[in-house]
Amino acid sequence: MIMGGGKDKPELIVNGKRTDGREFGELRPIKIQAGILKNAEGSAYLEWGNNKVLAAVYGPKEAQPKHIADPNRAIIKCRYQMAPFSSLEEHSRSGPNRRAIEISKVTKEVFENVILLDNFPGSEIDIFVEVLQSDGGTRAAGITAAAVAVASSGIPMRDIPYAVSAGKAGDEILLDLNKIEDNYSDADMPVAIAPRNSDILLLQMDGALTKEQVQRAADLVIKAGETITKLQRDALEARYK
Amino acid sequence: MRIVLPGDKIAENPVRMENAIVENGKTYATVIGMFDESKGAFIPLESVWYPRQGDFVVGIVENSKNNVHTVQLDSPFRGLILPPPRPRFGGRGRDDRFGGRPQREEREEILHVGDVVSSFVKDVKREADQIILILERPRRLFGGRLVEVRPSKVPRIIGKSSTMLKQLEDGTKCTILVGLNGIVWIKGENVPLAQKAITKIQEEAHVSGLTERISELLAGGNGGR
Repeated sequence: MIMGGGKDKPELIVNGKRTDGREFGELRPIKIQAGILKNAEGSAYLEWGNNKVLAAVYGPKEAQPKHIADPNRAIIKCRYQMAPFSSLEEHSRSGPNRRAIEISKVTKEVFENVILLDNFPGSEIDIFVEVLQSDGGTRAAGITAAAVAVASSGIPMRDIPYAVSAGKAGDEILLDLNKIEDNYSDADMPVAIAPRNSDILLLQMDGALTKEQVQRAADLVIKAGETITKLQRDALEARYK
Repeated sequence: MRIVLPGDKIAENPVRMENAIVENGKTYATVIGMFDESKGAFIPLESVWYPRQGDFVVGIVENSKNNVHTVQLDSPFRGLILPPPRPRFGGRGRDDRFGGRPQREEREEILHVGDVVSSFVKDVKREADQIILILERPRRLFGGRLVEVRPSKVPRIIGKSSTMLKQLEDGTKCTILVGLNGIVWIKGENVPLAQKAITKIQEEAHVSGLTERISELLAGGNGGR
């Protein structure tokens, strides 16, 4: 299957609804469970539509190898990986590919801005995001799951971030694109936000949006954030009920 | 008491508190915990161990060189056991020749790589590129079993004026040393039971009536579950 653009572009909006029957600003159903891995300091399992993501956090521990340690703060190592069986297409059977390296980097940068790294000089914190099943928007799902995992580990953080993507099909701004929409939409914009001050921690864009459309997309993302944040909080609190 | 999560506001004014940060004149929690509004107390449900002077720790000797022992404490920071200070020459006759200071050979016999030691944090030092914990009063622990626990659950395992710990020790006829770094050393008659009880305390630390359930478990019941 050839993805992206082309003549065989499917209709993304039929009778005012999206391909999977959602409204333009509607999220897919989300389910989060915190603290499911016994050996990890913190962990979370997330189902976001057809995405299934597992996140685990280890540390803080002594940074290895020694030369990468920062004497003033902790460093974060992040690994985002799609399981070979996670999607219809091939996903590297040996080591991370370009895409995985990029997503690991942006995920790491999200958490560098919320974890209090100064508390642990010379140490490292490992964040693992494993995508078991994918259906578009896995980087957002990965960040949302990893945020719950970090919060459940007791590593001090300023806020619990969430991420979600927005995009454009025709003239409509859509929230939370799935795989088909991701591949054939005119634009795709994943955003990660720290909800307390609505700080933007990640903003990527594929395609083109006008200034006004970006504003509309951002509004949708922030509104969806209330729902996602509530689910994250419920998952964390459920462990102590 | 309410559950607070990282980023939740716990005070309108800046308060210096553990596991909290002050931003724009307000105080926010940084870990998941219970906040008592009336007392203004914040008890973390999950947290990381921050070494402090006087903390009791349990660790494993990892390296031994020039009479300095490095101790693995299951923390990003390493512990160091230094040789006792050399007495001043002629001071009260406690000179090397009179056995005042253990000779190198003698000390190396005391602690080996792989030994389990209990110790106290004497100093938290910032060396050129890392934080090092200077340990004092090391005691070698023979035999026994080590159990890892969450550092945030250690106060619950010990209990108010160590009531819980006493209960555990009496109920299992074990000696139990709880390091604040989250390593527990158990030795005695019924080690598996002690381990089971400690796991239970960890899992149910936030539920009230824990003491009764633990005494039931130790008495042979199923502890309410």
